[in-house]
Amino acid sequence: MLAEKYTTEIQTILAKYPPEERRAAVMPLLYLVQRDQLYVDRHSMSEIAEILGISTTEVASVVGFYSLYYDQPGGKYRIQVCTDLPCALRGAEQFMEQLCQRLGIKPGETTSDGLFTVEPVMCLASCDKAPMFQVQSGGGLAYYEDQTVENALALIEQLRTEAASKGSAKRKDEYE
Amino acid sequence: MTKLVTLTIDGMQVSVPEGTLVVDAAKKIGIEIPVFCYHPKMEPVGMCRMCLVEIGRPVIDRSTGQPVLEDDGSPKIQFSPNLETACTTPVGAGMVVLGATEKARSGREDIIEFLLTSHPLDCPICDKGGECPLQNLTIKYGSGQSRYLYDEKKHFVKHVSLGELIFLDRERCIQCGRCVRFQSEIVDDPVIGFFHRGRALEIVTYSNPGFDSYFSGNTTDICPVGALTTADFRFGARPWELNKAASICNHCPVGCNLTMNVRREAASGGDWVVKRVMPRQNESVNEIWVCDKGRFGYHFAASSSNDQTSFKRLSQPLVRKNAGSDHPGELVPASWDEALSVVSERFAEAGDGLLALAGGRLANEDLFNLKQLTTTLGGEAVLYTHMAGGELTTQLGIQPGSDIGTMGQGDAILVVACDLMEEAPIWWLRVKQAAERGSQLIILNSRSTKLDQAAAFVLRYPFGAETSAVLAMLNALSEKRLRLPEAVQVLERDPTLQAAAEVFSGANNALIMYGSDCIGLTESQALAQACANLLDATGHVGRPNNGLLGVWPRANDQGAWELGFQTQTKLEDALGAAAALYIVAADPAGDDPTYLGQSGFGGKAFVVVQDLYLTQTARLADVVLPAQSWIERDGSFTSGERRAQRFYPVIPPRTAPVSRAESPSTNKAPLLIAGDEVMESPLPDFAITAMITLRIDSEARITASSAARVFNQMAETVPAFSDQTYLELAQVHEQWPIVGRDDLYYGGTSYENTGGLGMQLALNTSDTPSTTRLAGTTVEFIRMPKLGQIAFPIARLYDRGKTLMPSQLLHERIGEPYIVLNVNDAEMLRIQDGDVVHMTVANREPDSPDRVTTGQTVVVQARLDQELPERVVLVPRSFGIPIDKPTPVEIRRTE
Ligand code: SF4
Ligand code: SF4
Ligand code: FES
Ligand code: FES
Repeated sequence: MLAEKYTTEIQTILAKYPPEERRAAVMPLLYLVQRDQLYVDRHSMSEIAEILGISTTEVASVVGFYSLYYDQPGGKYRIQVCTDLPCALRGAEQFMEQLCQRLGIKPGETTSDGLFTVEPVMCLASCDKAPMFQVQSGGGLAYYEDQTVENALALIEQLRTEAASKGSAKRKDEYE
Repeated sequence: MTKLVTLTIDGMQVSVPEGTLVVDAAKKIGIEIPVFCYHPKMEPVGMCRMCLVEIGRPVIDRSTGQPVLEDDGSPKIQFSPNLETACTTPVGAGMVVLGATEKARSGREDIIEFLLTSHPLDCPICDKGGECPLQNLTIKYGSGQSRYLYDEKKHFVKHVSLGELIFLDRERCIQCGRCVRFQSEIVDDPVIGFFHRGRALEIVTYSNPGFDSYFSGNTTDICPVGALTTADFRFGARPWELNKAASICNHCPVGCNLTMNVRREAASGGDWVVKRVMPRQNESVNEIWVCDKGRFGYHFAASSSNDQTSFKRLSQPLVRKNAGSDHPGELVPASWDEALSVVSERFAEAGDGLLALAGGRLANEDLFNLKQLTTTLGGEAVLYTHMAGGELTTQLGIQPGSDIGTMGQGDAILVVACDLMEEAPIWWLRVKQAAERGSQLIILNSRSTKLDQAAAFVLRYPFGAETSAVLAMLNALSEKRLRLPEAVQVLERDPTLQAAAEVFSGANNALIMYGSDCIGLTESQALAQACANLLDATGHVGRPNNGLLGVWPRANDQGAWELGFQTQTKLEDALGAAAALYIVAADPAGDDPTYLGQSGFGGKAFVVVQDLYLTQTARLADVVLPAQSWIERDGSFTSGERRAQRFYPVIPPRTAPVSRAESPSTNKAPLLIAGDEVMESPLPDFAITAMITLRIDSEARITASSAARVFNQMAETVPAFSDQTYLELAQVHEQWPIVGRDDLYYGGTSYENTGGLGMQLALNTSDTPSTTRLAGTTVEFIRMPKLGQIAFPIARLYDRGKTLMPSQLLHERIGEPYIVLNVNDAEMLRIQDGDVVHMTVANREPDSPDRVTTGQTVVVQARLDQELPERVVLVPRSFGIPIDKPTPVEIRRTE
């Protein structure tokens, strides 16, 4: 239950908006959920809808619109590679293809250890530094620019070691 | 007055109010600017770019502020380099719009090509084919050749059920957003939305049940492609095979104008079949919308005597024979001649002992003839209803020139004891929109309803204190204060009430809409009187957009009031005391076993039932007469806004031999009484009543020949109808926005009105309205019992009534009988949400609510509610639970 688990957080978020514009808090509330469980399930959408006095469908539309939100579970780290036109001109598509190949997955899939999902997204505003991607995890968001498959794989290895050493029990403080 | 702006569109000059969009200005003078995402009822969004035009504006000299002139003295026009969207551009003085140029044309061609890059080639199997804006505009503007890469075509799911009523074909959607915008902007039910972006975008619903809105069907009308279709019509027929006939919805007092589409089908043995129900434009009634009950709930009228379900229609008269002292005999088929002679003989014998009990789904003509019969014999004409106060609406009701659609700034609407969304959805919409335009909406109710969200003042009274609550408003405005029961004293002191009363009193125009939420016949009479007093005291009577409006349970209850039908508070006694009963379009025995009485239904009375089906009451009758449904004949209904509106034959009478089934056109009434074969099939109610009457008194002023003649006779006799003729009801005038015709892309597939806009009735001024009557009345309210619960009846749009259950499609939404309990009561009774419980209805002792005598027991599902006060139980009407007024009940858990 969102409302019980994050009472103070929710209050802090709601306090930022005038009461009649409560619906504006939909994005931070979605982040709250996603930080906690790495994706937004249907039940949480309904809870947010109730908190904000809007319909679940409206909440879902926001989730659907932004590539930052997920409505399906995936890897612990989401690697979002920009393959939009300018990046594609700098080889982003091959980059992603090769990266996936090396990880043994197809775009959109998750590695067998459940840690990494790789997916194509639209422009992330780093067009001149392609190939580029962002990594989204419970910890937040990080940009990686001017990438090669090799340094991307190195990063992935590093994250993998971190995840193993922290273990799932400690996962929570990672988000604080 | 709004300022007029003059501009030129394709060489034609037009003057339109400032702020008008170019696309609408063009429409006004019949110039086509194609649109997909724009809709005249919604805010423009400029999403599809189909409406591209060249726009030139006069050049203004900055130093002088004067227009720069060409050498020939005409103003110099500067065209912008790019095409602009006509749907988002407001008109400007001297603007020059070019929509027919090669440049505009090629812009549109590009848009079409773009839209088609991933549109399926479905037209041959698409329900929209034949009335599809995309199809039509492709033919008109599309290039003959496609540069489309077949390998890149996206494939999506083609049968997505957005709930069981509406289906989505993802491939066909062109992402115009009309459906999503309609649901949030117009009907405030944002239960469908966009998900993802770009090519991946899809329409989703997260409500439970899916697409949970009473207005969902309208999205299929405004969707410019075949992406949204109704489960009812999907793959049912091609639009060009359909005939059309104008009709009026028979489900609630709004009286939405409908067009029914029919065709003959081999599957039905060559019979005419109703394929779909569509809205027909009447901007003063339903605009271009209908609710889903009206759209999907037509089957009761269309079923036939071949129907294998329990909704098999009556096909011929039945007369009880072989009855003895120890056995009831049986109903056997008889000729009309035989049935009518039995009935007329027995009615004549009964004389003023005749009680005619009529249901409010009958037409004006039927009710008028019934009244003529009881007048001839001296009997009584009673409306079968749980809601009274009708005579007040004929005197202080709304009058010609009234239109909720014109109410706005400075006006007020008070809605009391009413759940408009459930009782009359399109009125909910119209009132909500009036509030959005600036009308002050005041809601007085004992519980929250969806309309609260739109209200400026929401006031709550304790259950059972509706009349006192209205009087509290009156008290707030007058020196002489009525003493009110303690229960409403908190409300009376509430400053919000004071403020609301002042707003109401000071409004330019004010309406009161009262319903029957949680009340019965007696209570509604008192409530109507209190409302009348408030209207009278504040001067809100006798002018358009002022007065009292009843949110009746049936479509033509208003007609019955206008024709002088009465209510009967002790109906079960009256039924038992009458010498003869003539029950038309009502099923009291089926609704409530109490009516069966001690000595069987109707006691010793001779009972005649006239209906569509062999109802419970019909099974107990001495004679059963088969009636035609309203779509098999013509006639008129009077809406709650006192608008008499005509409906036309849609299908031929069900059991008439097929050879007679001519094309039902809007101009031809089916032959009523011609030849023996037709004689043995159902007849219009007015005709049956007239034939009975004429057998009793051949001189009686009553006619069986046609609805038109009955109507005109009614106009001669009944003052309210005196300004009207049957013909005039069929008159139309130009309405805005222009819909239908050849350009379905603009307004959608709602039909243009060619069948008549109807006419509002004049107020009845012959009886002086009695607004003082209440002064002497003691103000009653329901006291909560010390033990047990009180059940309060509420309306649900989708109920288990006889006019809805034949529509299978709605069964999932209707659900099983249930009651709503307060959580604390439930805990005490050890009942959990969803439990099956026994509810025992106490005997009908309104005077001693504390006395719970055991009556009928029903088995229902319990739903729990936090908000409800203790001891209050909500019971939906027409769900097979015999509660039509506040009634003590006992509830226990089913062990
Ligand atoms: S389903 Fe129809 S109305 Fe809705 S966005 Fe798609 S094309 Fe437009
Ligand atoms: S609002 Fe009433 S009259 Fe209109 S379609 Fe619905 S049930 Fe019929
Ligand atoms: S196109 Fe890739 S970041 Fe802009
Ligand atoms: S952009 Fe004008 S109609 Fe769509």
